[in-house]
Amino acid sequence: MLESGLCSYVLISYGHSALSSDSMQRMLLDLSGDDAVFGHFGATGGYALAARRAMHEFGTGPETWKKIAVGQRRWANLNPAAMMHSKPMTEADYDNAKLIVEPLRLPDNCLITDGGRAIIVTSLERARDLKQPPAVIMGMGQHNPSTVIAQSDWMAGPTGARQAGEAAFAMADITLDDVDACQIYDCFTYTVEITLQDYGFFKPGGGRDWLQGGTIEPGGRMPVNTSGGQLSEAYFMGMTPIAEGAMQIMGRCGERQLGPATRTKSPEIILCSDNGGILQSHSCTLLRRL
Amino acid sequence: MTSPIKDKYAIVGVGYTPQGRVPGRTSLSFHLEASANAIKDAGLNKNDIDGFISYRNFPAASDENELTPNIIAQHLGLSPIYMSQDAN
Repeated sequence: MLESGLCSYVLISYGHSALSSDSMQRMLLDLSGDDAVFGHFGATGGYALAARRAMHEFGTGPETWKKIAVGQRRWANLNPAAMMHSKPMTEADYDNAKLIVEPLRLPDNCLITDGGRAIIVTSLERARDLKQPPAVIMGMGQHNPSTVIAQSDWMAGPTGARQAGEAAFAMADITLDDVDACQIYDCFTYTVEITLQDYGFFKPGGGRDWLQGGTIEPGGRMPVNTSGGQLSEAYFMGMTPIAEGAMQIMGRCGERQLGPATRTKSPEIILCSDNGGILQSHSCTLLRRL
Repeated sequence: MTSPIKDKYAIVGVGYTPQGRVPGRTSLSFHLEASANAIKDAGLNKNDIDGFISYRNFPAASDENELTPNIIAQHLGLSPIYMSQDAN
């Protein structure tokens, strides 16, 4: 839209009365299709299937996912707008949480949120004259391996994140070592693991060790989902990660701001992801400070 | 080869709304509030907006209409040159 010269300022918006209306339940409890006959339905069912396969293939499991759930909650505890701001969570809380669809427990699932989020994209040339410091898009990549998980080549990954990430990093001409923080689409904890894995942050199954010692938490060496993410802040599809990435680059995040306030690296470059279907479509965006 | 769009575009505004459990509001109302706040945040006027993408909604609530980018743009008072809907 922008590159063709058709448009100068593009508005992207999301809005959903997801928690107070029956909309989300209508989607999640939809029992149509052949799978439902066998008791398999809903987003949690699909991701649980992929997560279970990943447990078999590369030995992941709740020990990995709990670090993601608890780590992101610690960020939410610093974000007054987060739905889970005043609800700390320990690893024991995670262990004792109820199973939704085995192997996924309640804190492995994202929130359902009433609300909306919007961003505006324009050329860097125009951005220089505007109010906020720009979050410059240095790289982008998309990859969409299949329309439904039953048709995917490999249920436990690589997902679209691998090729989308390669394309974005090639465009930006940087490596993983240049990334200061990540905002990862996190419909489920497992989505965060497989996305980081497919980007190359660790080898298959290496997430469990990589996450040890508070890697993704305030004070950690690779902060992830610094608003609390969809697991602990709010679910607005891809707008949750990209908006937080932009706000962190702009330096407008208050108590949870990356840098000295949270004993983390001041962010020059932030990786943002979006994902759709049951791990079927993927988008990677690299943002940097001007 | 250097990509022609590397470092060429930027996010310049972010719009928030009340979030959590916010009863009595339609999906459309959240689109409108977030959009208006993003435009204001960027220091722009709504007439500057000439491209619009709205995220796909999950199925509309039984007491709400299905949303399209056109309906949202209409309520914002925008006439974008280009509109599309992104499916997540």
